[in-house]
Amino acid sequence: MIRDISQDLGFTRTRPRWRRELWRHRWPLLFISPFFVLFAVFNVYPIGFSFWLSLHDWPGLGPMDFVGLTNYAELGRDSIFWSSMLNALILFFIYVPLMTFLAVVIAAVLNSRFLKLQGLWRTLIFVPNITSMVAAGYTFRLILDKDSGALNHALAILHVSAVPWLDDVWWARISLGLLMIWAWLGYNTVLMLGGLQTIPPELVEAAKVDGATAIQAFWRITVPLLRPMILFAVTISIIGTFSMFTEPYILTRGGPIRATETPVFQIFNTTFQDLRFGYAAAESYVYFAIIVAITLFQFWGLSRRDPVN
Amino acid sequence: MSQDELTPKANPLSRWPESRLTRRDMMKRLAALGLALPSAAAILEACGEEGAPAVTAVSKDTAGSITIWGWKASLDALKLVDSDFSAAYPKITLKYVDRPPAETYRNIQLAIAAGSGAPDVSVIEDSHLPQYVHLGALADISDWVKPYVSKIVTYKWNWVKKSNRYYAMPWDPGPVAVFYRRDVFQNAGVDPASIKTWDDFYQAGKTIKDKTGVFMWQQARARNDGRLFETLLWQQGSGYVDKGGSVILDKDPKVQRTLEYIGRFWTDKLAADQEPWTDPWYKGQSAGTTATVIDAVWMGTFFKSFIAPKASGSWGVFMLPVWESGGSQASNDGGSVLAIFDQSTQKAAARAYVEFHLGRDQSQLTIYQKTDIFPSLKTAFQDPFFQESDPYFGDQKVRTMFADIAAKIPEAGIYSTDYQQMSSLTTPEIQKFALGQQSAQQALANAARLIRDRTHRS
Repeated sequence: MIRDISQDLGFTRTRPRWRRELWRHRWPLLFISPFFVLFAVFNVYPIGFSFWLSLHDWPGLGPMDFVGLTNYAELGRDSIFWSSMLNALILFFIYVPLMTFLAVVIAAVLNSRFLKLQGLWRTLIFVPNITSMVAAGYTFRLILDKDSGALNHALAILHVSAVPWLDDVWWARISLGLLMIWAWLGYNTVLMLGGLQTIPPELVEAAKVDGATAIQAFWRITVPLLRPMILFAVTISIIGTFSMFTEPYILTRGGPIRATETPVFQIFNTTFQDLRFGYAAAESYVYFAIIVAITLFQFWGLSRRDPVN
Repeated sequence: MSQDELTPKANPLSRWPESRLTRRDMMKRLAALGLALPSAAAILEACGEEGAPAVTAVSKDTAGSITIWGWKASLDALKLVDSDFSAAYPKITLKYVDRPPAETYRNIQLAIAAGSGAPDVSVIEDSHLPQYVHLGALADISDWVKPYVSKIVTYKWNWVKKSNRYYAMPWDPGPVAVFYRRDVFQNAGVDPASIKTWDDFYQAGKTIKDKTGVFMWQQARARNDGRLFETLLWQQGSGYVDKGGSVILDKDPKVQRTLEYIGRFWTDKLAADQEPWTDPWYKGQSAGTTATVIDAVWMGTFFKSFIAPKASGSWGVFMLPVWESGGSQASNDGGSVLAIFDQSTQKAAARAYVEFHLGRDQSQLTIYQKTDIFPSLKTAFQDPFFQESDPYFGDQKVRTMFADIAAKIPEAGIYSTDYQQMSSLTTPEIQKFALGQQSAQQALANAARLIRDRTHRS
């Protein structure tokens, strides 16, 4: 007679621990699963597929040609792609320092106990951020036109000669920076406000008791304590600058002479204009790697210098 | 606010970079594309095939519902024929999807990459057509389109064919001429009939500028779109590439001559620095601060509708000057087709639609009479309407002139599978040249090098 040994070996009773845990939490897991399913389908799968795509030549239809790392090799000597990276870097220096500085100052003013109508000012400064960028971009285009734009008309009244806002490589970048500041200053101000509200007022008061002026207290106490938030905002701005798309697409169409083409703009053109899906995927991966590297570098700097840590 | 930029009155030929597509939309669509990839192409194929017997007409009883993509101006034009179409094919229902050109193309690209979601029929510009023909996204319509080959202006077939099979039905050609301000020419004492060569044209520009202060044409420098450059190359049968597909920008002396010619208008201050399709550019044309516009026949639609409706009688038209005596006076800008997609499951109904709207003289004439979208059916040119004068152009008989030009448009290496790319690589080099930062020769050498690098052409 054959004895059923399964019981002795404990097959039924001692399932692996993780499976028991899984089973025990089956309902909570079921309820949070939609996020993970959607994330897998709409993020993980495309990310993986993009990598697969980056190893191929594919015009969007028909068979994919496996080309290995050829796309990446070509990318290494693609002057247009690298100049789009350089454009993003230049744009970053044109508007991010100024915008961040203004955000800190405005946040400090908005945080002041003496300011009336705080809710109104905070709303007003944030409104551009929720305005359609397409509408804003076209409006800026009209305002900045060298001949018929309102800005040059206003400058003419002040006897300032017309500025080629969108018709010169550097002025076009500055114009784009103006649009970015207009759209994103409010967002950054709100970040800074959040940061300011975590700073205990006693510190500033103590400094004042010790004889510091308001301005000294601001620069010596408030700003250093705000540093983690400033670095966070700058990190967000770096990512935002390199992935800028709608703004140059509407305002400058990437020109003149490609001066305002950002990496994402370039990837978009490679995909939809050149129909080089594989090459565009390779561009995306290189772009992604660079953004990750910059961000890690930022966080490393943040953790090293953060006085609180 | 310039209205056309937000709600473009796009002509079937425009390539304005319109879009309301945001980056987030794009990402979403790319994600969807990745998702739909292992998709329904095979299933659709299985039920899409029809054993169409050659050349017999589509039966009156054909039933179906077809979707047609395009942009406002082109779809409005096609709709002019719809009541006749419904009478002939009562069981076919039509659904139009109206989006700006750039967005239409993007949706087509995503649909063909995803393997489903393409329309049955779409308006496609000749500039974009070769890409889709090359990809194999369009239905082979050789069986029924061949009888039209001899009836339609020859050059229109250039981009429709691949290995002697036909993939689209030509719609309008874009015959180019010089639109000129009669009042400006008169004030300067320049007789347009005296302009035979491009040198004459340049001299006339100088006279006009000296005597009236008016610019000869509007050409943006930093925001140049390269379109006049292409038009003038087309006139000479030149272009980005030769017949074999090799890049000739830096090899054909005609190309450098053309760019240098355009450059003289900037250096001698005969060109107004205005970006096309912007308010100041319109104003130049309505207020008469530009003497000429070199563009295709469809420009008339824009003059009449919104650029300069009040300038009726002020504009006239003359044929392009020649580069050397006996040279061509014809060129092309734009033009479009109707194509049926391979994905379509309603190919019979789609064929009925395309053939009815573009294959009949009456349909093309109805469209031309109301819209200035020019017919490509040579038989339509015989209609008395062509002999009538056009009051907007000072009662000039411009229609026969354009018919004459359309029939003589030379073959040129402008539109090809890589047109978008070649144009976008060349334009910044032209801009640099226009701003005086490099010579014409350098501009063309740079553009040629970039095109060879990126498109792997010789």
